Amino acid sequence: MTENGSVSNSASESMIRLENLTKTFPAQDEPAVEELSMEIPEGEIVVLVGPSGCGKTTTMKMINRIIEPTSGRIFLEGEDVTKGNPDKLRRRIGYVIQQIGLFPHKTIADNIATVPKMLGWDKERISKRVEELLETVGMDVSYRERFPKELSGGQRQRIGVARAMAADPPVLLMDEPFGAIDPITRDRLQNEFLRLQQEIKKTIIFVTHDIDEAIKMGDRIAILRQKSVIAQYDTPERILTDPADDFVEDFVGSGASIKRLSLSQVRDIETTDWPVTNLSDGPDAARAKLQDSGREHVLLLDKRRHPKRWVSRDDLEAGKDLEKAGWPAVAVVEDSSSLYYTLDTMITSYKGAAIVVDDDGAYLGVVDFDTVLEAINTMRPPEGERLQDAEEEEVTP
Amino acid sequence: MAAGAVGKKEGGLPRWTGYLIKPIFLGLACLALYLWVGTLELDSIEQRTLNAENITARFIEHLQIAGYASAAVVVLAVTAGVLLTRPFARHVEPYLVNVANIGQGVPSIGVLALLAIFYGLGFYPTLAALVAYSFLPVLRNTMVGLRQVDRFVIESARGMGMTKTAVLFRIELPLAVPIMLAGIRTALVITIGTATLATFIGAGGLGALIETGITLNRTPVLIVGAALTAVLALFIDWLAGVAEDVLRPKGLQ
Repeated sequence: MTENGSVSNSASESMIRLENLTKTFPAQDEPAVEELSMEIPEGEIVVLVGPSGCGKTTTMKMINRIIEPTSGRIFLEGEDVTKGNPDKLRRRIGYVIQQIGLFPHKTIADNIATVPKMLGWDKERISKRVEELLETVGMDVSYRERFPKELSGGQRQRIGVARAMAADPPVLLMDEPFGAIDPITRDRLQNEFLRLQQEIKKTIIFVTHDIDEAIKMGDRIAILRQKSVIAQYDTPERILTDPADDFVEDFVGSGASIKRLSLSQVRDIETTDWPVTNLSDGPDAARAKLQDSGREHVLLLDKRRHPKRWVSRDDLEAGKDLEKAGWPAVAVVEDSSSLYYTLDTMITSYKGAAIVVDDDGAYLGVVDFDTVLEAINTMRPPEGERLQDAEEEEVTP
Repeated sequence: MAAGAVGKKEGGLPRWTGYLIKPIFLGLACLALYLWVGTLELDSIEQRTLNAENITARFIEHLQIAGYASAAVVVLAVTAGVLLTRPFARHVEPYLVNVANIGQGVPSIGVLALLAIFYGLGFYPTLAALVAYSFLPVLRNTMVGLRQVDRFVIESARGMGMTKTAVLFRIELPLAVPIMLAGIRTALVITIGTATLATFIGAGGLGALIETGITLNRTPVLIVGAALTAVLALFIDWLAGVAEDVLRPKGLQ
């Protein structure tokens, strides 16, 4: 900072800058990483993704100098950290690996307190911080005195993340952090982590070999080929709609359009207006709503505006008890859910529509197939046009 | 027997009561030995060796020799084990471990005799021989113990900015403790047994009783010397076992 304080202003946007970073391991002719330069903007998740052996992990480990670069320079917050004490550098960078590496002989609290202790925090501050972090990662405070072996894989992963964030470092390095976890737990941890990131706004370097995880987690994705050469460094949208070359296209693989759906949330698209009424208002109110809307079904809500039941015109005519009439309100999604998940929910529940609710489960609106399709079309005019052109060409002869 | 043990646990007796069985047994053995010697008619030679004063003196000599030797082994072999598992020792490690192998490979009486030839008789050659003889188990277990520490635990520690020294003392050594203690326990028992040979180069110990018993054909003296050595070895083994349980870090099994 002192040396290039003048630069720091222009560089304040990029938290980490890599300049011509090269690593050649001893007894190897070819470098594992060759002349890599990239900038990592503050507060974003940048995913390094590529086939195995492309050097993505090596690249990440050079940032905290677990692997010392052969040549090139690393800047953290504008400061050249290529030389100097690596231990001090690492205390400013959170580090999460796939195997987590919790200390088996230390309690959860001691594990989380590792870096704060090294930084000489007092006991009270550490204890407070541990409690706060346990809460942040959604674990009960009673886990403090447990040992790692008493935890499930998902819980260990949460503690790993809590430990990395303990001293509130501006940067987190994550090496396939959800790689060794079952798919269901992984999905949940990913969602939780994304929600957490909205609050903490850390700069995160995330390494994975899974393009779907990259698309889901990344604000930006760097697709790397051999020797960590950047094939494309762009937003997930651009990578999916406009791959730089065949390598990127191959790597993204088939189903790019479907994958795009995981980038948009339901709250981004307009919900359909649907007749709703309170259960307590009785059948007459429901009938009136239905009449006005011209729809076949009305959605009944309870006092807290949680969706309860779908009721049809016929059900109302038959004069059944509203609590039991029609069928239960299934296919409910939160407004933060991805379109991918929403579509999946619709399909699995055999309903042509999904009910959108807020964090507390209160009704916001309804989306149906048509709305989602429309959203997809507006999302990607370039490819839509291309498709149309191609069709026309085929038709003309 | 098994049912009795279960019953005890359910009865709520503290866990440490299990630890008492072995020392009680050893105490009874000593008592039996004492009573048996009391029934014998001892001649003048036996009276000179089998009295409280002489036995206590030999016993203390024995403990001293074995104690110093064990302390030296723990310090030297653990240090060597730590150094040999550091990356810089990668090339010399196989050779040095071989040297330690020789120490245990050669018969102990041979080592003792050789050392006596070069350095004369007495306490220090004995000490050196015992150290050479029980060095290997401690060295080997220290190295195995350090090497079995999950490398990702070490990587995450280094990745959080722990210095190499901090990783060694706060992570690697504590996690290696159970295996290291097993090696030290073996070394202690070996040392107690081998220390009986000290008498041949004039350093005394319980071996003196055994030697007297053999050379002068006095079986009671031989038996007392041998039995006391065995009791001592078993007692030390018991102590080390208790230490293993107490010192094993919480969180590991």
